[in-house]
This record gives sequence, C-alpha cells and structure tokens, in this order.
Amino acid sequence: MKKVMKLIMAVVVCSSVVFGSVYAQTNPKLSDPEIASVAVVANQIDINYAKIAETRSKNADVLQFAQTMSNDHAAVIKQAVALVTKLGVTPKDNAVSQKLLSDAEKTKKVLLSKSAKSFDKAYIDNEVAYHKAVIGAIEGLLIPESQNAELKKLLQDIVPALKAHLAHAEMVQKMFLKK
Amino acid sequence: MIDHIRLRGIIIAYLFFCILLKSCTTPEENNINPPVSDSTILSHEKSGPVIDTVEIKGMMFQPVEVTVHKGDTIIWVNHDLFTHCVTEEKTKAWTSSKIESGATWKMVVENSADYFCAIHQVMKGKIVVE
Repeated sequence: MKKVMKLIMAVVVCSSVVFGSVYAQTNPKLSDPEIASVAVVANQIDINYAKIAETRSKNADVLQFAQTMSNDHAAVIKQAVALVTKLGVTPKDNAVSQKLLSDAEKTKKVLLSKSAKSFDKAYIDNEVAYHKAVIGAIEGLLIPESQNAELKKLLQDIVPALKAHLAHAEMVQKMFLKK
Repeated sequence: MIDHIRLRGIIIAYLFFCILLKSCTTPEENNINPPVSDSTILSHEKSGPVIDTVEIKGMMFQPVEVTVHKGDTIIWVNHDLFTHCVTEEKTKAWTSSKIESGATWKMVVENSADYFCAIHQVMKGKIVVE
C-alpha cells in the first residue's frame, strides 16, 4: 500500500514541479521561437498522456476526459503551427522544452506501471497537477516573455481552456475521492 | 322635430365638452404611452417568435442565462478554437451534437432547461421560458 501511495505521489509531484523547477533553476529568458516550441511540446505531452489513458482506462468519465484533452490540445497545436507559419518563425528547441519532455517520459513510465485498478486515479491526479503547472507557466512565464502580439494573444486565448480542463479534471478527481 | 333638434344639441354639447376636456390636459399627459408590459406583449405578438443569440467564447456560454418566450429561437455561435456542444443537462433530452469552431446551432425553445457542454462538462448555461 505504501508503495502504491509513493507511486501516486511521484506522478503528481513529477508533473507539478516540471515548470516550476525549470523556471526556478534556470530563470530562462525565452525568445518567441522558443516559446512556440514550449507551447507545442506542452500540448503534445498532454495528448500523449491521453493516448495512454485511452489504452489503459475502462472508465467512461476518464475516457471522455482523455478524448477531450486529445482533441483540444491538438487544436491548440494546429493553431500554434498556423501562427508560426504565418509569422515565418521556426519553433526552437530549448532547455524548458527539453526538461518538459524528459519529465514527461518519467511520468509516462509511472503511469504505464499502474495496475488497471489504480491507473484512472493516477492519470486524473496527474492531469490536475499538470494543468495547474501549465497554467502557472503560461501566465507567469510564456505570456510575459512573448514579444509578438499574436503569439501573446494565442497564449492568452488558451488559458480559459486550460482552466476549464483543470476544473473538469478536478470534477472527475472528486468522483474517485467519493469511491 | 323638436326632439331631433334637442338630440343634435346634446351631441354638439357633448363633443364640445370632450374637446374642452382634451385641451385642459398637459402635453406630457397627451404623450403617455401604454404600460410597458402591454407594449412588450403587443410587440412580441406582432413580430412573432424572436431569435436570441448565445455566444460560446472563452469556454463559457454568454450570456449564461437567457430568458425567452416559448417558440423563440436560440442560436449558439461557437467563437472558440475548440469543438463544443449544447446538451440538456438533467435527462439529455436534446443535444446539438458537435458544434465545430466557427459553426452555429439553433433550436426552437419549448421549455426551460439547464444545459451544458457534454465535451467540457464544467461549461453550463440556462434557458428560462417566460
């Protein structure tokens, strides 16, 4: 039981510290191409988590949430790609996006190690923590540092969606707490 | 003959009295409109069903609550990047199915209802039929 709890905590902590630790340790100054890269990577990571949920979960609420994450984050990537294409900007790999990817890889392993019984709660707990971290990073780092007005507006426009995702994840999380 | 003359006299006196009474009222009194509620009802009856618009933007239904008359039409316009839907919340009695980004959906309202986006379940709205 202790081991299970440790694993759940690992998933939650892993996600919540991703943006915070990168920001605190490196205090990055990001260019617009780097911000575009971080935005695309952060969205792709949540699509990847959703794909894991779609193969591992049998819970209708979790599957519906995962499907929504997959569709919405794909829509954001599509919009970001359209914008950088229009601006003639190539997303540039950087320390923040690399750290995001390496931490996401660890989280993926933790999620895949879950039993069918404990997967749903672990996935939703991670979604709550991940969305909190992403909202914090977009509002505290990406929006303030973006120079291009259209890029800044795109980032501002996706914040309400991320907050709705967070509220949705917390709603599903409460269902697990009741059980 | 005398009765006929007398009747004409009474009618003329009555008309004179009415004109006199009318001229004694103030201009403001002459311009008094019918009560607002009557006017609204008359206008609604004359113009028929009304079309109301609910905008979907920023992951919200705006306005959240819309008050209509039975038979009015509501059009939902999706301004968001994301696909939404409009679904009756309690029994799923009706649904728009998917409303893609930039698309619209309309419905003739029969009853009051709480509704939500079944895709983003924290998005909620309300229809009140007067």
